[in-house]
Amino acid sequence: MLFWIIAALLTLAASLAVIVPLASPRRRAVGERDHDIEVYKDQLKELERDAARGLIGAAEAEEARAEIGRRILKIASRDDGTKEALRKRSLVPVIATGAVLAVPLVSWGLYAAIGSPALPAQPLSARLGADPAKSSIEELVARAESHLASNPEDGRGWDVLAPVYLRTGRFADSVAAYRSSIRLEGETPARLSGLGEAIAGAAGGIVTAEARAAFAKAAELDTKDPKARFYLATADAQEGKLEDAATAWRKMLQDLPAESPWRGAARDAIAEAERRIAVARGEAQPGPTQDQIDAAAAMSDTDRAAMINSMVEGLDAKLRQNPQDPEGWIRLVRSYAALGRTDEAKDALGRGLQALDGSSEDGKRLLSLAASLGLALAQ
Amino acid sequence: MIVEAGHFALVLAFALALVQSVVPLAGARIGEMRLMAVGGPVALAGFALVGIAFAALTATYIQSDFSVANVWENSHSLKPMLYKVTGTWGNHEGSMLLWVLILTFFGALVAAFGRNLPATLRANVLAVQGWIGAAFLMFILTTSNPFARLDPAPFEGRDLNPILQDIGLAIHPPLLYLGYVGFSVCFSFAVAALIDGRVDAAWARWVRPWTLAAWMFLTGGIAMGSYWAYYELGWGGFWFWDPVENASFMPWLAGTALLHSAIVMEKRSALKIWTVLLAILTFSLSLLGTFLVRSGVLTSVHAFATDPTRGVFILAILVVFIGGSLSLFAWRAGSLTAGGIFHPISREGALVLNNLFLTTATATVLVGTLYPLVLEAVTGDKISVGAPFFNLTFGPLMLPLLVLIPFGPLLAWKRGDVYAAAQRLMAAFGGALLAMLVTWLVVDRVTVFAALGVGLAAWMVLGALTDLAQKSALGTAPLGVSMRRLAGLPRSVFGTALAHMGVGLTTLGIAATLAFQSEHITVMKPGDVADIDGRSLRFEGVAPVRGPNYTETRAQFVFAKDGRTLGEISSAKRLYTARQMPTTEAGILTLGLSQLYVSLGDATSNGGMVVRVWWKPLVTLIWLGGLVMMIGAAVSLTDRRLRVGAPSRKARTAVAAASQ
Amino acid sequence: MTRKQKRLSVIAAGLAFLGAATGLTFYALGQKASFFYMPTELQATTLQPGQRIRLGGLVEAGTVKRGEGTQVSFSVTDSEKSVPVTYVGILPDLFREGQGVITEGTMRPDGVFAADTVLAKHDENYMPKEVADSLKEKGVWQDQPAKSGS
Repeated sequence: MLFWIIAALLTLAASLAVIVPLASPRRRAVGERDHDIEVYKDQLKELERDAARGLIGAAEAEEARAEIGRRILKIASRDDGTKEALRKRSLVPVIATGAVLAVPLVSWGLYAAIGSPALPAQPLSARLGADPAKSSIEELVARAESHLASNPEDGRGWDVLAPVYLRTGRFADSVAAYRSSIRLEGETPARLSGLGEAIAGAAGGIVTAEARAAFAKAAELDTKDPKARFYLATADAQEGKLEDAATAWRKMLQDLPAESPWRGAARDAIAEAERRIAVARGEAQPGPTQDQIDAAAAMSDTDRAAMINSMVEGLDAKLRQNPQDPEGWIRLVRSYAALGRTDEAKDALGRGLQALDGSSEDGKRLLSLAASLGLALAQ
Repeated sequence: MIVEAGHFALVLAFALALVQSVVPLAGARIGEMRLMAVGGPVALAGFALVGIAFAALTATYIQSDFSVANVWENSHSLKPMLYKVTGTWGNHEGSMLLWVLILTFFGALVAAFGRNLPATLRANVLAVQGWIGAAFLMFILTTSNPFARLDPAPFEGRDLNPILQDIGLAIHPPLLYLGYVGFSVCFSFAVAALIDGRVDAAWARWVRPWTLAAWMFLTGGIAMGSYWAYYELGWGGFWFWDPVENASFMPWLAGTALLHSAIVMEKRSALKIWTVLLAILTFSLSLLGTFLVRSGVLTSVHAFATDPTRGVFILAILVVFIGGSLSLFAWRAGSLTAGGIFHPISREGALVLNNLFLTTATATVLVGTLYPLVLEAVTGDKISVGAPFFNLTFGPLMLPLLVLIPFGPLLAWKRGDVYAAAQRLMAAFGGALLAMLVTWLVVDRVTVFAALGVGLAAWMVLGALTDLAQKSALGTAPLGVSMRRLAGLPRSVFGTALAHMGVGLTTLGIAATLAFQSEHITVMKPGDVADIDGRSLRFEGVAPVRGPNYTETRAQFVFAKDGRTLGEISSAKRLYTARQMPTTEAGILTLGLSQLYVSLGDATSNGGMVVRVWWKPLVTLIWLGGLVMMIGAAVSLTDRRLRVGAPSRKARTAVAAASQ
Repeated sequence: MTRKQKRLSVIAAGLAFLGAATGLTFYALGQKASFFYMPTELQATTLQPGQRIRLGGLVEAGTVKRGEGTQVSFSVTDSEKSVPVTYVGILPDLFREGQGVITEGTMRPDGVFAADTVLAKHDENYMPKEVADSLKEKGVWQDQPAKSGS
């Protein structure tokens, strides 16, 4: 409402700027020549000053005086343009009316086309001060960030923010936040393994030496920390030590309480490790059903490739439609990897993680699959 | 609410610009005072509305309102407040809004202080200003609207390009635009006069303050931009002949020519056609500069606009305004009468020569700037035209001009005596020779260039002083008398002397820097000492520093001579975190008029750092000279002859009686 | 001097100026403008010894050798051919492997390009225009949408 009042007032003021001069009583025109003559008279005065000061010689001054005099005479003999004034008088009301109407019509018409009057201004400070219960995660993060920007030594703030960053995929920020919370609040298994996960996330799912060190420290502080154990095993798997990794995961599975969210991830990881061990030994690869294989065997090579590709692409398209399908993502990533289409596999991995939320149960399974396939997340 | 109020004000300003384009012009044609009178209030209201729009945009920047696309693209909530404000014009949309703000500002000035102008001339000038304003407001509203919104609004902005986060950049564009756009008033006067078909000596007097003001601001803008490039880009150079620099330099050269030819027109009523053409060309070059920078046809630091529709739109504005005004000129030029005659050796002759040099130099810069673009469009060959080209073309044109400058003010109008002038300049010539000899013998025995450059600079400065000495009869009259005479001289004489002296100082700075600067590139470890022309630079060490929106590695140096500390310098490698963009922050230590410039390179494998050090003698004179030129223009602006008022009542009745 | 003579002398002086300036400009364009080449084009061209040129392309990954001191060597490539470059001085802030770069200097007889100027892009989304155009022709580089902020 306030906006419309301001708009109306501005329009009124602008219209007045047009109307007032049009409506004021006719002023007598100052002759055009008077302004010129004023300048030349000033030039004469200046000339006299210069001559009096001796800046120009007497003869020179005389010549200049004559020249300015000629200019004044020429002006005086010129027609003052008053005769012209009588032409086309009838156009005046038309132009005046048009001008007065143009201001509101053009402005309101154009603004209606390009403005967004309904959209309120959203200064950051007001948005940060809004009721937390109604805020989105993004807003809460922004609030925490602005708080921490002014109080960078608030370790508990970093502690809260770090896992949020991790969950929203802002790995680099998460690493920095975990480091700050560890620096200010001390090392705990949760913070260390969180740091490791963030580093691994930033490296596209690869458990780097740095991440591994963090996990190792966490495992040292708490031998039962499931995250640290899981990732340490993943690191082994990524280095090709599949047997060691599988053993570690199996041991972890035994220790985990029945309701632990890590059980599923560990089971998947074991299955994947076993499959890869089998592949390495040259055993059969789990793949399409026997029927499909038979059908494929009966086809020519190109047909077969086309069939496989169409199956994979069909799955891909389905997942674009309905991304909430963890099993589907796992199959898609695995298929692309098996076809050697690494880039697409990475792309599918990225999309899947986005759809499933990287830190959910399913997301972890997908990540560990990717890790075991040696895929790095596309940046 | 603020955002949309600003947006609405901008749209309303466009509507008023349309009214301003048509109504006063129609009034002048018909001879109706009331229509003509609309121009003034509308110009003032238009300025107020664009001002509201600009203030609203600034407020959204200060409040980090990321629902405005422009703020989101160019700001960040953690950016220091100063750069939030300056970020308003540190981007394409905002800078175009600033352009129009300044345009309407000059229109408002004409409306407010144009009482001494004949009514039809004033109405026509305001109408032409209205055309330019309407065209650029249309451009902003259709292709570069700074008030475009985002819904839902993001929570964090993308930050301003770090090299634009600098105090120099806060001042440089407004100054430059005040100059660029100031010439629009000269253009409007020229077009208005052509519409009227009447150009005379009085016209030149009326245009003069606008030319002076625009020239003053443009001088400042260019000097500021040059200093910014010098310290912010970390390359240690002050002028790169970059097309964007040329874009601002060409209007300056043409504007300088205009400034001088208008004097002839005012005094002698000669060179009328030429002066009007120069006024049109100067603003055309400003428009060309705007086009080159804003369309993205050039690749440069400044070319953040790459949307082709923008380029086409500005090109259309360019074609309409330049083509239209030149056609009008061709049509009307024949009807202008010739003015006073003069001998080739006279003040007029000297000013004509000045114009020949300056316009030819402008043409060479124009060719050097546009030729690569044309060649690429025609043949597809890509070439770059850089300093070597300009040194060979612009240099030979400028040097004789600089040598001749001191003669000009000493020659009389109509018929001058060059021998007498030369005699009066003997002292200055002697001084210049002495400076040359001293330079050659004492400072540098190798390069003749250095001695010549210093000599030329001394010649110009002493020549300007000679003019003042002559006019106050210093040495021929008793000291008291000549002091009184000096104080009584018109301000414009001081203005001329100061501006010419400024050119001399800039020349001295350039000559000294080019001839005597020394450059050292070394690898230094903490504790190392480098020898810089007999002085020592010790590398103290590096430390990480955290700024508001960046982190940096800062290296500390101590500059000393014979164990006596001359000063401390810190130079840094900075990383702006939002854009992950590294920059080099050069360390500069000013000692007198000279500077030590330290720039950091990469760390080497053995723990050292590559350090590039320049010793630049008298380098600050390059920009101080520009400042002196600005002061000269400002002094000239206060000259009493530029304050001719409106005709008084008495004069009016007298002439009115005479004409009836 | 009559008005006519005066006008003629001004016009004559103007023409003389213009003539001189035109001559200078053409001479300078022939001598001092430096042509821009990509590595592949460079192979197909014969240069006069000491002729200044600009060489543009991408900094080939794995070729940047920062010497012990201030000398740097790297290769500029357009994905077909590459040219070794040496440079003494400080590289621009945004000089990175795989990024667009323009170097200016002369070709040495041994086939190494001795650069005295190295220009890299100025910001994250900026690619030297000449380099971008040539790479686009070769299909190596595509316009990427601006990186969205987080």
